[in-house]
Amino acid sequence: MKTRLLLTALTCLASASLFAADSPAPGSAAPDFSVTDSKGKTQSLSQYKGKTVVLEWFNPGCPFVKKHYGSDNMQKLQAEYTAKGVVWLTIDSSAPGKEGHLTAEEAEKQIAEWKMKSTALLLDPDGKAGQTYGAKNTPHMFIINPEGKVIYAGAIDSKATPNPADIATSTNYVKAALDESMGGKPVSTASTKPYGCSVKYK
Amino acid sequence: MSAQRSFAGAFLLLLILAIAKPVSGQTYEGRELVKAQLIADTDAIVPGQPFTAGILLHMAPHWHTYWKFSGDAGLPTDIKWTLPQDWKAGEIQWPIPLRLMDPGDIETYGYENEVLLLQEITPPATLAGPSTKLSAEANWLVCERLCIPGDAKLEIELPVAGKNAPANEEIFSRYRRTLPQSWPGKDVAKASWTRSDSELQLAVESGALANSPVAEFFPLPDDKVVVGHPKTERGPAGKITFRIPIETQDPKLASLNGLVVFGPDATGPNRNAWSLDRNVVASATTSSTPSSPSTLFLNLLFGFIGGFILNLMPCVLPVISLKIFGFVQHAGQSRARILRSGLAFIAGIFAWFIGLALLLIALKSAGREITWAFQFTNPWFVFAMSAVVLVFALNLFGVYEISLPQSANRSVLGLTAGEGDAGSFFQGVFATVLATPCTAPFLGAALGFAFTQSGWTIFIMFVAIATGMSFPYLLLSAQPAWLRLLPKPGPWMERVKQLMGFFLLATLLFLLWVIGAERGVEGIIWTACLLLALSLACWMKGSFLTPTASPAGRLVVVVLMLVLVLGSGWYFGQKFAVTKLAPGGETPVAGDWQPFTPERLQSELAQGHNVFVDFTAAWCLTCKFNEATVLESAAVREAFQRRGIVKIKADWTNADPAITKMLKQFGRPGVPLYVLYPAGKSPIVFPELLTQSILLDKLETITTNVAAE
Repeated sequence: MKTRLLLTALTCLASASLFAADSPAPGSAAPDFSVTDSKGKTQSLSQYKGKTVVLEWFNPGCPFVKKHYGSDNMQKLQAEYTAKGVVWLTIDSSAPGKEGHLTAEEAEKQIAEWKMKSTALLLDPDGKAGQTYGAKNTPHMFIINPEGKVIYAGAIDSKATPNPADIATSTNYVKAALDESMGGKPVSTASTKPYGCSVKYK
Repeated sequence: MSAQRSFAGAFLLLLILAIAKPVSGQTYEGRELVKAQLIADTDAIVPGQPFTAGILLHMAPHWHTYWKFSGDAGLPTDIKWTLPQDWKAGEIQWPIPLRLMDPGDIETYGYENEVLLLQEITPPATLAGPSTKLSAEANWLVCERLCIPGDAKLEIELPVAGKNAPANEEIFSRYRRTLPQSWPGKDVAKASWTRSDSELQLAVESGALANSPVAEFFPLPDDKVVVGHPKTERGPAGKITFRIPIETQDPKLASLNGLVVFGPDATGPNRNAWSLDRNVVASATTSSTPSSPSTLFLNLLFGFIGGFILNLMPCVLPVISLKIFGFVQHAGQSRARILRSGLAFIAGIFAWFIGLALLLIALKSAGREITWAFQFTNPWFVFAMSAVVLVFALNLFGVYEISLPQSANRSVLGLTAGEGDAGSFFQGVFATVLATPCTAPFLGAALGFAFTQSGWTIFIMFVAIATGMSFPYLLLSAQPAWLRLLPKPGPWMERVKQLMGFFLLATLLFLLWVIGAERGVEGIIWTACLLLALSLACWMKGSFLTPTASPAGRLVVVVLMLVLVLGSGWYFGQKFAVTKLAPGGETPVAGDWQPFTPERLQSELAQGHNVFVDFTAAWCLTCKFNEATVLESAAVREAFQRRGIVKIKADWTNADPAITKMLKQFGRPGVPLYVLYPAGKSPIVFPELLTQSILLDKLETITTNVAAE
């Protein structure tokens, strides 16, 4: 009885210390989510098990997002890696009435206007998926490997400015991590400080 | 005349525009968001003599630009100087920023309304020309609900002269006062860093900090580390610990640059900041010990006093009656006998505390969170405890007697109720186990301190508490003359014994209630079934296991009893193991209280509400006492309501890890904990034993402060 008590006490305490940090740290299991996309389809992480998944937090009104779309940088990345079998989910967590909030219809327009090449544009107006990932910025990038582990979290590249001219001279962390991971190598830079606008949660 | 004057005015204006453009504006949809201006603290440049230039940014209301480290979002303002050859511009000197909070747990550091970013400019020793033109390009991001980048090319032209006079004195001196100071000497503040896997802890001992209502850490991380939101934890004796979650691939990273910001409030101009250079502080403190001997001694004294007061806490009431009864029994016996029995009782107290200390040290060294009275968060402990309490109560009622001679008094049941030294020892253990769901004044602070220290400190702290708790019994044992103050033993003792039995049944009710809160109605039922079976076994012992019974009959009874006790323990234990709270049955929160979740607290604070959080647990009698006498009293309810304070109840009955984390942030080992979060200010922590006047007084000062702003 005593050892039983001690054991239950220990497991009790053990679970207490395993309280999750804000963002899933690189190397930890990627939490699942279920969000409706601009076409009305439900998108969840679990349905892409066995594939590399990129999560990109998005707000069309944010100058840092505009930097990467206006320069065609983001679309190029999306096209290049979706062609290689990567699932690229762009997620808009702006709440209704806040900057960057999109209805399904507006989202479709946005996709057409900016020629977005991601697998889907997910609409997360209650911010649930965003909060699960601790997404703080737009753009805020996460890469999940086929085993369902987060292998990169952070900024899209090394130059935290809204100036498109800086893209050419910056290191693209997402590209580097995807190339390394898909080439069977460990990701050398697995977490960086994301930069951009704050996600406009409710 | 008037035409002439206006002509002159226009000419002058043209002249100014032609010479310098010290002001530039950023507009968005017709509104001016940021006005940028380049100013200097001198009216002339003296060759070789440094002066200070500043970029002054005026932001539209509610819009903000960012600090050197912008936090979760945003971008620091950037300044590039275009200076003639051989001129030098120093680093930007950033005034103390504000910590800004956005929905979704987003924290940034920046400036609202106005900021002056200062830079030292050093001209060369030889300068030609009547004047020099200096230009700077500033780039910023200004955000409110949305973010807009802005920039300005600013110029200033100053005459070159042999001597100069100060200019823009008021604004420069105002902003110089808001610059962080370098880290003070050891006599003012002592700092030390520790790192656990994903957290850095900066401990600062400083009177100046301890006396400030607000103390915060603003990190300045380099790009090798991603930092979370630093939390401030106030320990006893003015020690403040900043906990900074980090994510880094550098296992050796053990400190950060940053600011320790403190003052009367979290936003005003009266704040101070000390700039912390990671290398300086890290090397300066390696030699100093984490806690000074005087802090340790003071906390041990707190532990001793806390242990002593434990005897008087509401949850110990049923237990204290047992102790008194023990002494009444001893009255009139030989002095040596009383001393021995008293010492055995005290040994029991020590045994429990030392055992607990060793367990906690083992858990801590295994990297677990440790808390006070954690055993009550475990339903199995409460399950077993209720069985022990009932069996003991039945003994007091006389359902069965401990009939064996004292020397052979070896059965566990007998030990607790026995009159031998072993009995006294187990009485001590029993009393202490039941006392632990209480924390007493001083005890919380002392334990909170000890839990952050080394294993040895924890051990010594528990010894101090045990000493405090045993103190009255030690006195009574050593001075049996004082026992005469207690009544003489006699037949009345039988009645008192039975009365004490009822006290124990009340304790049992409390334990069953705890089980109900942890495991629901089913949990209570299966526990009660076990209790019934145990009662039957006790009755069998009392009725059939008499000295006059035949050996064969006795054997049958003993076997039956064993079957009953072990069988019911096994069977009902299994039933109990699968019970759990019905969905939605968790945290049954009564009245106008809302159940605690970190998100709820965050969102209420983000909406600018005043929030009061009651950290409680079903098994915490101190909590229940405070709730009944203070929190649910008409006066307090009314005061909360009138001030629109949001009431949140954090129920720690089942050791909710989110709540454990909150308790840690406040340096508390367990419940109760009462925290008031005044909107936009640092939280206020109340003492463990609440009184209406303490609470109402504090509410008064908070709301008047808020009104005054």
